[in-house]
Amino acid sequence: VLPSPCPRQVRSYYVDWRMLRDVKRRKMAYEHADERLRINAIRKNSILPKELQEVADKEIAALPRDSCPVRIRNRCVLTSRPRGVKRRWRVSRIVFRHFADHAQMSGVQRAM
Amino acid sequence: MLSKDKDKSAASKDSAREGAAKRQEDGAETPKQQLLDIIGTMKVEVSYKKKLQQLKASESKKQAMKKLEGLDSEGSVPQGITEDTQRGKPLNPELVKAASAVASSLPCNKKQTESELLAQLRRHEETTDKQKNGGTINIRVRSLKVGKRLNIFTKASTEPEHALKTVSSPTIWDLEFAKEVAAVTAQPPRNGFEEMIQWTKEGILWEFPIDNEVGMEDDAEFHEHIFLEKHLEGFPREGPIRHFMELVICGLSKNPYLSVKQKVEHIEWFQKYFEEKKELLQEI
Repeated sequence: VLPSPCPRQVRSYYVDWRMLRDVKRRKMAYEHADERLRINAIRKNSILPKELQEVADKEIAALPRDSCPVRIRNRCVLTSRPRGVKRRWRVSRIVFRHFADHAQMSGVQRAM
Repeated sequence: MLSKDKDKSAASKDSAREGAAKRQEDGAETPKQQLLDIIGTMKVEVSYKKKLQQLKASESKKQAMKKLEGLDSEGSVPQGITEDTQRGKPLNPELVKAASAVASSLPCNKKQTESELLAQLRRHEETTDKQKNGGTINIRVRSLKVGKRLNIFTKASTEPEHALKTVSSPTIWDLEFAKEVAAVTAQPPRNGFEEMIQWTKEGILWEFPIDNEVGMEDDAEFHEHIFLEKHLEGFPREGPIRHFMELVICGLSKNPYLSVKQKVEHIEWFQKYFEEKKELLQEI
């Protein structure tokens, strides 16, 4: 079987360990999202008694640390750069400039 | 057969015997002639008769008796013939006995009648043998289950069952083979259209015109989304919890992104949570 001609780079690993950890955090946050939402709904209202809300505080603190969405960092998808990432394209500024100059970003052109 | 009969009748010695013999032979010839005629026509019916044979093997003696009566009466000849043919090969000694009994019952010419009957039987047996060796040509197949099985055919019915079994439960190896074949025969896309087709199949590219509700199959009516009070039956009627849950329901009814199932699960989670905290709540 001949190898199929592929024009792009084939990436079979994550760029670095930080990216891998970020991926794990994202997965965990997805799993616990419902629970966190519901416990926060109990915590953040003025109707229920405060004792119940304190219990809810302790419960949410007992959940694993990586399950909260605050720990997710929007890294560059190609280089794992934590800063300078444009949200729409999910790539860092350097990669964005590289692709835009090679006309590989759809609808992106230099300032006219 | 007719000539034989005539010869035998001619060979009789006593005149009185002759006369008596002639009378009896005439009387006996008609059934024999009729026998012969019917044997000639009976070749087709032999296979069916064989099945009846096997079925009525126990009744063969009764049939022998009937035969005797039939030949005596000379009127019930066809019955005698049918019973005669039914017996066929495996019942030879009985037939011989029957023939001898018949001959003895007929006055005089015992030997002649005996020999004639045996000759007829032999002829019939020959025909039946020919029929058997030639194969069972069931021209008149009235019902397949009449009589015992002849054990001539092997069971060929197991093959379609096996075929059905293999089709209904494709093994892992079959699936793997199919995947291999698909992978080998799949050519790389020759142009952009084929590439887009491939991507659509994989799920990378959406289907056009874009359907906003792909993957979301909510078959519930609007009233199931909005009127969620019936799920609040497990909660106390008054108190802060009820107040809280009514707010939750109000929020859910305005939520277009969740399915009815998800909303119901939401409410059930709260119910479970508050039941666990019941002791704490009662202290308050």
